[in-house]
Amino acid sequence: MVFQQIFDGLTLGMVYALIAVGYSLVFGILRLINFSHGSVYAFGAHIALVVVVSMQWGVIWGLCISIIVTGLLGVAIDKLSLEPLRKKGSKPISALITTIGVSYIIQNLLMILLGSQSKWFPKLFDYGRLHIFGRIGISYTQLGIFLVSVILLLFLTVVIQRTKIGLAMRAVEQNPKAAHLMGIDVNRVVSFTFFLGGASAAIAGTLISGYYQVVYFNMGFIAGLKAFSAAVLGGIGVLYGSVIGGLVVGLSESFAASYLGGGYRDAIAFLILIIVLILKPNGLFGKKAVEKV
Amino acid sequence: MNKTNIIKGISAKFIDKINEKPILRLTLIGLGILWMIMIPRLGASSFFIRVLTMIGLYTILALSLNLITGYTGQVSIGQAGFCAIGAYTSALLNVNFGLNYFITSLCGALMAGLFGFLLGLPTLRLSGPYLTIATLGFGEIVRMIALNFDKLTNGPLGISGIQRPLIFGFQLTALNGGFYYLVWALVILITLFLYAIVRSKMGRALMAIRDDELVATLMGIKTTRYKVAAFSISAVIAGIGGSFYAHMIRYIDPNTFNFDISILIISIVILGGMGTIRGMFVGAALLISFPEILRFASAYRFVIYGLILVIMIRFRPQGLFGGQSSAKYVLPKGVKVGAKDGIA
Amino acid sequence: MKKVLAFLLVVVLCLGLLAGCGAQEDEPAGTIKIAVAGPLTGDFAEYGTGFKNAVELMAEQWNANGGVLGMNIEVVPFDDKNSGEEAASIAERIAGDADILAVVGHFASGVSMAASPTYQEAGIIEISPSASHPDYSKAGDYIFRNNTVIHIEAKEALDLATKVAGAKKIAVMSVKTDWGTSTAAIVKDLLEGYEGVELVAHEEIIDGTVDFSPTVTAFRKAEPDAIVVVGMYNVLAPFATQYKAVDPEVDLIGFSNAYSQELINLGKGFVEGVYLPAIFFHGSEDEDIKTFVDSYVEKYKVVPSSLTAQAYDSMGIILTAIETAESTDKEVIKDTIYTLDYPGVTGDTHFDEQGDAQKTFTWIQVQDGTFVQIPK
Repeated sequence: MVFQQIFDGLTLGMVYALIAVGYSLVFGILRLINFSHGSVYAFGAHIALVVVVSMQWGVIWGLCISIIVTGLLGVAIDKLSLEPLRKKGSKPISALITTIGVSYIIQNLLMILLGSQSKWFPKLFDYGRLHIFGRIGISYTQLGIFLVSVILLLFLTVVIQRTKIGLAMRAVEQNPKAAHLMGIDVNRVVSFTFFLGGASAAIAGTLISGYYQVVYFNMGFIAGLKAFSAAVLGGIGVLYGSVIGGLVVGLSESFAASYLGGGYRDAIAFLILIIVLILKPNGLFGKKAVEKV
Repeated sequence: MNKTNIIKGISAKFIDKINEKPILRLTLIGLGILWMIMIPRLGASSFFIRVLTMIGLYTILALSLNLITGYTGQVSIGQAGFCAIGAYTSALLNVNFGLNYFITSLCGALMAGLFGFLLGLPTLRLSGPYLTIATLGFGEIVRMIALNFDKLTNGPLGISGIQRPLIFGFQLTALNGGFYYLVWALVILITLFLYAIVRSKMGRALMAIRDDELVATLMGIKTTRYKVAAFSISAVIAGIGGSFYAHMIRYIDPNTFNFDISILIISIVILGGMGTIRGMFVGAALLISFPEILRFASAYRFVIYGLILVIMIRFRPQGLFGGQSSAKYVLPKGVKVGAKDGIA
Repeated sequence: MKKVLAFLLVVVLCLGLLAGCGAQEDEPAGTIKIAVAGPLTGDFAEYGTGFKNAVELMAEQWNANGGVLGMNIEVVPFDDKNSGEEAASIAERIAGDADILAVVGHFASGVSMAASPTYQEAGIIEISPSASHPDYSKAGDYIFRNNTVIHIEAKEALDLATKVAGAKKIAVMSVKTDWGTSTAAIVKDLLEGYEGVELVAHEEIIDGTVDFSPTVTAFRKAEPDAIVVVGMYNVLAPFATQYKAVDPEVDLIGFSNAYSQELINLGKGFVEGVYLPAIFFHGSEDEDIKTFVDSYVEKYKVVPSSLTAQAYDSMGIILTAIETAESTDKEVIKDTIYTLDYPGVTGDTHFDEQGDAQKTFTWIQVQDGTFVQIPK
């Protein structure tokens, strides 16, 4: 049974990792905690829901359309609310409060426009279950999530490390002014980053909905916070850290649920968050930011 | 053009006059208080009194948040957690030991203050956004403990049958306007208290921390001490709010003080103006009353709270009443004014 | 700018305060007002809307027959946003409106309990179609509960599990809400009275959980024949999906508040075979029930759930009491309610001294994607 719990925890962890990657991406480039990411994830899931269930166009279309629309939402959030703050040179806390406000707006609009009841979503990779060692059951859907997370991670890493735009992103992260002076259009890079963040949220939303088969308007709130804990644990800004952090949070949650009872399950992620913040705010793999006086 | 100028002109004269002569200001406030006292006597509906009571309660909560956010510059989105601690402490003391409101409220406030202190200490090393996230985590953990720690808090069943406050054997009820007077009495006391803090050495220290913590440290201000103190006092006030709620609604459960409440409080503070006391009254009045007045908007109210956060931060981060005060700056005693031929 | 604001503020506040001492609207004589309160927005909007729809339907039907005591019935809806604070505020408003005689609401126990003291104090009849907290109806003699009493429903669920599903090893999964916790405790208590049947596991989950893997793993170890799910459809459906994927043979038993078309919409094939005790069956052959279901579907395009039907009956009880008492005096109406035996779509309803309703149950199973009544 312990092995099954471990595996459940790992799957749960991959779910959080998928979402956490979005936080890391934006923080890595902008040093901004994008609190709205959770609601964007819920938004992505709902777009996929509309395309796949209401319009019956199939999962592939659902995923593609969701990626584009949600990515654009990410860009819109930046352009409308965050870019003006950057221009004004506001304190980082202003951006955080703004993203909190945005998350509230998106989440509640989803509820008002699409209804508060839970909705059904078809299962992805529905090919049945594998059995390892005779006793541990793994469904192909879980394998699918695992695979997609890894592919997404690799894809993002390649983009950042090997492409021109990735180079621009790294430059902006190091020093926006210098990057600007070198001829990089900083705003375009930031928009692209937000697009990627939104797209990854869409992928996460579609996949996870296809696993649990439920879509509901506040699915982004708790999952988003837990994924945020995962990102912080792994070192926010470091992509592979999000995956590791996600796995740790997932495993902890699985064991907490089994041994402490379902009620304390959500609390574990928050506990991890606070402990990490107090003991090692940069997380496991994070880089220390040098604050110049 | 002309009309706006006229209004500007009248307003400027009116406000300047008030600022110049403290007597006028006090008279205006005194009249205001008198008016507030008379309202229930003049036959206002119990619903209207109730809205005013809730405005009072949220003014208290906004004042509490304002101390650490507006004056000390530490944004907290976990105030609901302190309210919950105050409320549960009060409720448990009342239901299990029959203690009266004034005692339970005191205990609730102190308990909340204790947790404010405990939360303040370790999190003070955190900077801006990280501190805020930690406060969020705190609020949620309080809620989860309330939900799961059945033996103490009765879990999801909550605590019911909390008794109304008794003053010399006289029960305060909604019908006799008791809660209305109580909450506004609390508001006045807390406002005076905060006013005193803001004008004191502590207040200046807090504002220095808000404006530039590094410089404040270099100037010799013991920032840690002041930050923890601000956190604790803020928690105490939030706890008072929570206790009041428990005795008024007489039933609380873990979901009563959730993240939505924390968001509402910070929206009030940001709308009214961080770092201003009068802004809290206005913010609370606006945000609590509008769902009642504009019924069609009440379904959208969380969207509106979110919009307020986004729009205010974008266009007027100092809030409606924030920014440079138009009152004359009163120098503390013992400070000598410089010579007239201008030292910079 | 600030000075303008401050000045305008003083002016507006003065006006606002003056306005507040304002007058009530005058109602045309010959109208009776009944309020319905519940979450019309927010997480549980579907339930509050169901209440409102049901109450309005009942009012419409009575009005078409000349109203009650010759007077027109007006329904006043309130959105409590599932918040105790809001509910208490609504209770104040209702108390302040002399024309409102009774209120059908609220939805959640905690929310209802935040409002009941005000209703009791003001002498306004409150009938909640869904409150389940044991203390709810103790708030006073004006407070009624037209919902199943947990003890009786728990017994029905266990009977379904043991007598129909034939289970010997039973596991219980409950949501951590006031209803879930109380019901689970009663289920476990009653289970001891069943010969040869043992409780093999009990897991609590937070309402709104979609990931049941720890529960599934824990239960698998205990190997139950049947699982009693103390949760509404939003929990039962995903749980069924996840558990049946590893053990398709298990029997699942839910409660009457999971009886809603949404259960099938969300669970699809996985909720096939789920058993539910219910006090309302929408496919019943009974004429009154058929008429109700048909008119509800015609007007609102969805099949009414059990809770909706309970709200419908609650309104019917109020109106019948007014008519029987031949009075609009709230106290008289309240006393009359205690004497009534109301034949509603949720069975014959009679309130005991505490204000709780005694109901008879039918048994339902999901077969071929629809709800079917099974013999007792």
